[in-house]
Amino acid sequence: MYKYFISICLIFVFAESFSQEQKKDTIINIEKDSTIFKTNYGLRLGIDISKPIKASFDGTYSGFEIVGDYRIKKNLYLAAEVGYEEEISDEDYTNSTSKGSYIRLGVNYNAYKNWLDMNNEIFVGYRYGFSLFDQTLNNYTPNVSDAENGNYFLADLNSATITSSNLNAHWSEFMLGIKAETLKNFYVSFSVSYKVLMSVKEPEDFKTLFSPGFNRIFETNTGFGFNYTLTYLIPFSKK
Amino acid sequence: MKKIILLLLISVAIFSACEKDDFCTQNPVTSKLIITFYDETNRETSKNVQFLSVWSGTKDTIAQYTSVTLDSIAIPLNSLTSETVYTLKKNATGGAKIDNEIATFTIKYNTTEEYVSRSCGFKVLFNNVEFSSSASSWITDFTPTTITNLNNQTTAHVQIFH
Repeated sequence: MYKYFISICLIFVFAESFSQEQKKDTIINIEKDSTIFKTNYGLRLGIDISKPIKASFDGTYSGFEIVGDYRIKKNLYLAAEVGYEEEISDEDYTNSTSKGSYIRLGVNYNAYKNWLDMNNEIFVGYRYGFSLFDQTLNNYTPNVSDAENGNYFLADLNSATITSSNLNAHWSEFMLGIKAETLKNFYVSFSVSYKVLMSVKEPEDFKTLFSPGFNRIFETNTGFGFNYTLTYLIPFSKK
Repeated sequence: MKKIILLLLISVAIFSACEKDDFCTQNPVTSKLIITFYDETNRETSKNVQFLSVWSGTKDTIAQYTSVTLDSIAIPLNSLTSETVYTLKKNATGGAKIDNEIATFTIKYNTTEEYVSRSCGFKVLFNNVEFSSSASSWITDFTPTTITNLNNQTTAHVQIFH
């Protein structure tokens, strides 16, 4: 666990440097530019198209996600994602299906300074994620592998399905992404995220291998995700 | 736009390539039965079994226990049945076929399954293990006759005297 604390601390480390300083005695009167570029404030809604694309390549996966954000300050957005995912985890000795829905709530901070009236973003974000799902153990083979003795006795495939309902997971998510306004009020965005599981309800005599919205749960209770979204801004006001 | 597509492709490649992140390093996952051989008169001293061969029922002899001289063996149990009968052959007088001595060693148990991890899957637990051996064979005695489980893989489960 300590290594994550250290990693989290490193997020806030930055370096500052100066190459030149303006001479103090040469004060030049710069005329203030009186033109103020106003940008749209409003609700941005869209979908994550990476999920249908992944589903078309990967037969063991299906998913859908609606994304939205609302601009509250010049550089600050409230953001949310809701979705549904289903994934078959085919491991060496087990085969299980997780399916359910999730919601992620949080903020995005735009760290990019736009030129003129452009509306692009390089953002960092935080999300709190929550998912409700079922996990079914489709089949498994007890691991009796014994290479030393040439697998003397074998085990049978046990295909009695065991479903655990009402499982849930909570997690924190750190995001990094870019957004570009490609057409008027139409945005394309790409982001990656690192997720840390805070709690998960495990099925009896088994483990949660995949949580919707979190993706694969690694041994260290961490996960990764990426989004590729198309969104449309419904402008409410110009500021 | 082109950059975004490129980034997307790279990350898809990374995420799909890193699918297998853990391998089952626990060996063995399902416990084996560990037998040590001791001298029948001087019960504190371990004693090698000459030309030992081990097999179960009509199956082939276990490759690593074919005419070997050893004082301990680790053998698997059949998880599909509630007993495993092993035949232990020894030959104390030089390996001629006529001098082979045969003994059977029977292990009875109940099985349950326990989840280990994503890469290792489920292990089989052997509980309430009971041992018995064929009468009047080269196995003169063994101890203990019952144990609760085989979980410990570092010490012997049963000592056979011969």
